[in-house]
Amino acid sequence: MKITLNAIKQFTDVDLSIEELVGKIGSQLGEVEHVEALGEKYRGVVVARVVSCEDHPNADRLHVCTVDDGGTTPDVTRNEDGHVQVVCGAPNVREGLMVAWLPPGSTVPESVGKEPFVLEARELRGVVSNGMLASQRELALGDNHEGILEIDQPAEPGQAFADVYLLDDYVIEIENKMFTHRPDCFGILGVAREIAGITGKQFVSPDWYQPSPGVIDASADLRLEITNELPELVPRFSAITMSDVSLRPSPVWLQVFLAKLGQKSINNVVDLTNFYMLVTGQPLHAYDYDKVRALSGGDTAKLVVRNPRAGEKIKLLNGKEIEPRAEAIMIATDQKAIGIGGVMGGAETEIDENTKNIILEAATFDMYSIRRTSMAHGLFTDAVTRFNKGQSPLQTLAVLAQIVADVVDLAEAKVASQLIDINSADGREWVHPPVTVTTAFVNERLGSSLGAEDMRTLLTNVEFAVEIESDSLRFTAPFWRTDIELREDVVEEIGRLYGYDRLPLELPKRSIRPVAKDESFEKKAALRNALSRAGANETLTYSFVHGNLLDKVGQDTEESFRLSNALSPDLQYYRLSLTPSLLEKIHTNIKAGYDDFALFELGKVHGRSEVDEAGLPNEFDRLAFVVAADAKSSGRSGTGAAFYRARFYAEEVIENLSLKLRPLKDTAPESNRLTAQMLAPYEPGRSAAIVDGSRIVGVIGEFKRSVTKALKLPEYCGGFEVFMSAAQPRSVGYQPLSRFPSVTQDITLRTPSAKSYREVEAALAEAILAAKPDGTTISVEPLGIYQQSTDDPRNISLRIVVVHHSRTLTDNEVSQLLDHAAATLRQQLGVERV
Amino acid sequence: MVEMIDAKLADSLKARAASGDVSVLRSPEFRSLFDQIKTLPADERAAYGQAVNQLRQEIETTLAAHAEKAEALPPIDVTAPMDVNASMPGFIPTQNGSKHPLMRELETVLDIFYRMGFHAVESPELDDDYHMFSALNFPEDHPARDDYDTFMTTQTDQKGKPFIAPAHTSTMQNRVLQRYRDDLEKGEPIACVIPGRVFRNEDLDARHEHTFYQLEGIYVGQGVHTGMLIATLKTFLQEYYGKELNVKTQPFYFPFTEPSFEFALSCPFCDGKGCHVCSQSGWIELLGCGMIHPNVLRHAGIDPEKYTGFAWGGGIERLVMMKYGIEDIRHFESGKLDFLRQFS
Repeated sequence: MKITLNAIKQFTDVDLSIEELVGKIGSQLGEVEHVEALGEKYRGVVVARVVSCEDHPNADRLHVCTVDDGGTTPDVTRNEDGHVQVVCGAPNVREGLMVAWLPPGSTVPESVGKEPFVLEARELRGVVSNGMLASQRELALGDNHEGILEIDQPAEPGQAFADVYLLDDYVIEIENKMFTHRPDCFGILGVAREIAGITGKQFVSPDWYQPSPGVIDASADLRLEITNELPELVPRFSAITMSDVSLRPSPVWLQVFLAKLGQKSINNVVDLTNFYMLVTGQPLHAYDYDKVRALSGGDTAKLVVRNPRAGEKIKLLNGKEIEPRAEAIMIATDQKAIGIGGVMGGAETEIDENTKNIILEAATFDMYSIRRTSMAHGLFTDAVTRFNKGQSPLQTLAVLAQIVADVVDLAEAKVASQLIDINSADGREWVHPPVTVTTAFVNERLGSSLGAEDMRTLLTNVEFAVEIESDSLRFTAPFWRTDIELREDVVEEIGRLYGYDRLPLELPKRSIRPVAKDESFEKKAALRNALSRAGANETLTYSFVHGNLLDKVGQDTEESFRLSNALSPDLQYYRLSLTPSLLEKIHTNIKAGYDDFALFELGKVHGRSEVDEAGLPNEFDRLAFVVAADAKSSGRSGTGAAFYRARFYAEEVIENLSLKLRPLKDTAPESNRLTAQMLAPYEPGRSAAIVDGSRIVGVIGEFKRSVTKALKLPEYCGGFEVFMSAAQPRSVGYQPLSRFPSVTQDITLRTPSAKSYREVEAALAEAILAAKPDGTTISVEPLGIYQQSTDDPRNISLRIVVVHHSRTLTDNEVSQLLDHAAATLRQQLGVERV
Repeated sequence: MVEMIDAKLADSLKARAASGDVSVLRSPEFRSLFDQIKTLPADERAAYGQAVNQLRQEIETTLAAHAEKAEALPPIDVTAPMDVNASMPGFIPTQNGSKHPLMRELETVLDIFYRMGFHAVESPELDDDYHMFSALNFPEDHPARDDYDTFMTTQTDQKGKPFIAPAHTSTMQNRVLQRYRDDLEKGEPIACVIPGRVFRNEDLDARHEHTFYQLEGIYVGQGVHTGMLIATLKTFLQEYYGKELNVKTQPFYFPFTEPSFEFALSCPFCDGKGCHVCSQSGWIELLGCGMIHPNVLRHAGIDPEKYTGFAWGGGIERLVMMKYGIEDIRHFESGKLDFLRQFS
């Protein structure tokens, strides 16, 4: 919402500096997005009278003029009469004209803030021109560049041009969002009222701004009939006809007013509709009466408010033809649609240079309907911005009466019909009933200690009616405030007008009962610690992925929630597991020169097969990890397949991992659809499912060839993904220290290729446990696995450390123990001790 | 359909595919199937053509699966802790490891709020229209909804509305208020912060991400007022930055708070004198906040006559970017080690 300081001053005194005012608006009305000091632009622009105007001797279109600036401009060459010579090419330059003169040394206002163009005295085709006479466009006051601006109101040569049209002004732009519930603040009048309120001044609306203005004197030359078929959606529809309208450019003050607020000037009538919209927030529309009548049956112009007929199309003012949505509010004649009410007028009844007679309309439309229509057709107009905040239907007559008077003035028009006012608003509460609050209610919510009188003054300043009854206040909102409904609404007004930054600060009191930390965050923090300490880098990737990525890793797009309004195909699907997102980051990091790294992410996954009883998608926390090394790298720690490195990392965050691993190739196809997606990228022969009982809770492994190729993964690449519920950083397990020395012995077992390491290790542990002397603690650690060539038996070497807690063990005892265990293993598994 | 093709021939073609014979699609046997089309009556041709195509697809799938298998590295013993003829795997040097800067900062922020007596709970990444809008006092078709460029799914909830990628962590307000409602009766306030990942349908640039993190806070109790809101946020920020700060509010509009504010602090990097971090203004706008709207309390079964409260929400990225001087918000989700390892 743009306002200008001078426009505000038409309605209220402002005695603050611009900086103070902007600060005050920011803290008590809404964020100021931009302040533009217009005065800067017009510094040096001088009112001058054209004293003489002769043809240029050397150029057809140019004129050589002398202008009278009252002798005020310094350092400029003057003739004996004290006048200054200026060359001007405008067709309208003539003797006696009052013009805006840009003397040498001044800057063309249009160029200020862009590439400043500073004028000088220079020859134009052999004749010296001292600066120039400016057009509207050069003055940054509109598009008109056909001639120079003709000053059309009293002014003296030598006067600052800015003074004539109130250009020593500031344009202040306040963020619209703050006014979402303040339809009145989409008008300068409303903002002026608030500025009075926050600066502690009593505001008085102009006399004409009232729900029931005086009757407009009228003849009845141009008949108009209105039917409202949509009283629910169009609570008020007021219109009047005017005849003998002289359409022409608006007076300069009006053009300037509009230009400051970024509106284009069209002609006097359209400009006035825009002027009153900008002042009051009430959008207005002007129709060509004769065009409306021609499109109506019979001699009378007819306006009908209705929904569109099936298949009905309309050509709009923006030149586009659309088929409005079935529930749109149409303005039609009895024959055909001529506009979309509250959104945009139609091209067929637009006023143009031949227009003689007009219909002026001030109506109120349902804010929700307007918004739906606007969104459905992508039509965003000033009218939509205002109507979709819910304008008060109680202001149409006031605004209509005022614009009619101005059209009479500026376009010499006559009122040609009675005012027609279809008022469906009666009996509905456009302004809510009075709100009664106690001072305690307000002070408890603000932390303030305001008295009833203070509160009354704050709100009567902005024209509420307030009655005090002991410690209760009864607030009656003025007719333009459709937003005051609850007591909290009144609290907000009091707090804001008083100034929130003046409220005393006080921390809430709390008990000393400790707060339980959130388990999920704590767990994530612990996992993050464990993995980053182990050299891995925590990564965050998007929750949305490209359908291609799902395809590349063999996941099913059908299982994925899909965005209907994705920014790009890159972000179209909710991810089904985290691993693919991490895999996508490997190639670029290798290219960036990283030859040995691990990435992990703590994130969420969703699947369409997973919704709760209320129909809401279930959400699963997951931990994913990938490790990769460049084939050319020599620096990586550890040798062998990447699987074992991924597994080594997984040991850090999954308790008793070795007990939970099942070869993925031997695992039955996963019936849970979302879990199956997690397994999809992993190569079954080189991966293990992590199970909890019969449920798969994770997977560790290397990736399928197709995945490796599609994502340009290095040969050495593995990873794991696990439900967060199954992850747990390794906990501390303490063994009491023994006073006696331990005995260490190694054992190597020649293992047939069909037997797994786990079988051997488990059998060994069990055999040792069964035979171990009482009072001993035994640990079994892997030393190495050796194999000559594929399919040969493997030699598995393990180190056994035995310690007794109450005496010294002999080597012999341990040897016996291992001999016994080896014998058991040979019997059970066909494993030979080497 | 496939019955239209000679079953024996089809089986032999499939068997060849299963054995990895990639020439099967070019074989005369397979091609002969196309030649037969001409011999068929016109009304059968379409169906026959479909059957042949179906067979072709089946063969292609089989071949692809075979290729996958053939190229796969040999199976390994996944129960072992190390590979054959290899040493035990080791970690990457610990000094290379890092926590993500956003998560690290979030931990710091949470720690302060825990100390201030707040619970913490995470917000979801996929939610419904009710929690995104309705429970927060956004009427249907209200223009306030325009300010949230939400991503929506093609799938719909039980009311036929699309699911929503939450555009704010306020989606949790209703749930948290309900969860801790009983505490109010015991005289304990509801105090909770809600971090989470949120989404806005915005084009990416150095300052805008479609995916970012927010931290929501809620405090409800008896006699909770606007001065407490400002004091609480000020206290948090002073603790976070470790220095005295000035704060100010700007009125704002959110449907779920009344009154609503934007909250700004004096720039902690230049002590309000003006620097590049605060764009020379001396102030940093950090978050939105306000007193919880009575309708939101009512939606959660809390009596707004008896209890009042405040809520706020702000982005985490901003804090981290200012703290380290990070120039581009897109680095956070880039997965670049050049970025991540700087936080080792």
